[in-house]
Amino acid sequence: MSKRDIVIAGYSETRIDFKSGRSAYDLAGEALSDLLTATGVEKDRIDGLSVTAPLSEAPNPFYAVYMSEALGLTPTWLNFGAIGGCSATGGVARAAAAIRDGACEVAVVLSADAPSTSWRANYGAYRSEFQDPPGVQGPPASFGLLISRYIHQYGLKDAALGKIAVTQRAQALMNDNAYSKFKKPLTMEDYYASRVVSDPLRLLDCVMFCDGANAFLVTSEKTAREMGLQKMVYPTAFAEVTNFNGADMLADVTESGFAKISGTVFGKTGLTPKDIRMFQPYDDFTIAVLMQLEQFGFCKRGEGSDFILDTDLSHTGGLPTNTGGGQISAGQPGLASGGLNLAEAVRQMFGEGGARQVREPKNALVTGIGVIPYARNWGTSAAMILEA
Amino acid sequence: MSEAKTASAAGAKPESSKPTRPAPKPNVYVDTQPFWDGAREGKLMMQYCTETGRFQHYPRPVSVFTGKRTLEWREVSGNGTIYACTTVRIPGPGVEGRLPLPVATVELDEGVRLIANILGCAPEEMAIGKRVTLAFDHFDDGTPYPAFRLADNAR
Repeated sequence: MSKRDIVIAGYSETRIDFKSGRSAYDLAGEALSDLLTATGVEKDRIDGLSVTAPLSEAPNPFYAVYMSEALGLTPTWLNFGAIGGCSATGGVARAAAAIRDGACEVAVVLSADAPSTSWRANYGAYRSEFQDPPGVQGPPASFGLLISRYIHQYGLKDAALGKIAVTQRAQALMNDNAYSKFKKPLTMEDYYASRVVSDPLRLLDCVMFCDGANAFLVTSEKTAREMGLQKMVYPTAFAEVTNFNGADMLADVTESGFAKISGTVFGKTGLTPKDIRMFQPYDDFTIAVLMQLEQFGFCKRGEGSDFILDTDLSHTGGLPTNTGGGQISAGQPGLASGGLNLAEAVRQMFGEGGARQVREPKNALVTGIGVIPYARNWGTSAAMILEA
Repeated sequence: MSEAKTASAAGAKPESSKPTRPAPKPNVYVDTQPFWDGAREGKLMMQYCTETGRFQHYPRPVSVFTGKRTLEWREVSGNGTIYACTTVRIPGPGVEGRLPLPVATVELDEGVRLIANILGCAPEEMAIGKRVTLAFDHFDDGTPYPAFRLADNAR
């Protein structure tokens, strides 16, 4: 059932930094340059480009065109990915479709953002009248509401969320690209002592906006082999959904779009949760990791706490999870965030994980989350399975 | 991490530092005038789909149930139950001088939810399942904005 004609045949990732003083263009340039160096592909072979909409350059509706010009690329297929943390995996899936359709042969999926240097996004719409007045400007308040409901329906063990934070931090210590100030170990005591920002959400449950970029080379297996590329992984399944349950004013907010798409990606590959070698879930907040473990069927709904406490999530464990530290401990490079989880999956499957290398990295499940909507969980959910 | 730094700085400000909570501009993305006019009369007004008989909130350009403009504004009772709740403890625009700020997703008896503040309520008093009734908070210029009180505290 799964298609094995398209490959990710290269990746690059900049270091994550806070208030770098750099622009998304500059970071993107570094990511492209590193990608070309890593793959040996000539710049002029690139005829497809997917660019992720960044918070730092959001006022420019022609950002993707400007980026093509900045990088000296002449794409015959250009995609502007504006589904936030789903834009990287979504960009790979759209590039695959474009390649199959003959719109381009060699595509780069590029995500760069620098919101800790320059925040220029304005979500507009209903927010000033209906979301900001009660004090729900930022994601923490929305996630405080979400966690409260989860606790009400299922119960939650603080130790489980703490374990995600502590384990991911330990993984980040082995990640050269992780933000330097996060390079110190975290203990459960630190987690419990972390200040509550929006009950019951603690500071150490949250990501911090940083600057960074990542890029992926997507082409057909045939073209990749013609270009002499050796390392490649197959994105064998992808699914996404936006505004899940959107017309249900009384939707259960503990059920996200992942509940709808998990069956799709497993169905396309014939894999089950037991077959997944590593999990690289989008981690803007620790609770998102827990809810995804449930909604992809690693455990039953409501059993996320016990599953986490019973499972070694490190790179040597039973379910290696966010082996590079995730966004929570490597830093969230704005809306280039989804590419951070994807880059770690590709890196591991290329056998380039270094001190944190997962043994027999035959596949990975990577996810994305895009935007926090009004009184729900998240706007877009995306999932991709990579196979060797 | 940076948030924590900002928080302690803001926390050190004297209590008298003036709150800046300007009333938002209505009608910026769809016609919301009935909501604001209703608030001035002490009513909570919401969009009602005339084809499905259901309320929706926040206001949209179409009925999310039909995709068509089968909409009118109706008053809702303002009686409901706390569906989810949190207390905002970090500073940000519009919350200065209001922290800790109790926030809830309120499920109205009409079958629709909204995010609102729970007034006159200590954070530990707020709980999912508690009944609430309509109340009004005010922006700097006196413009009323729908909020709630715990039903037990209302009288």
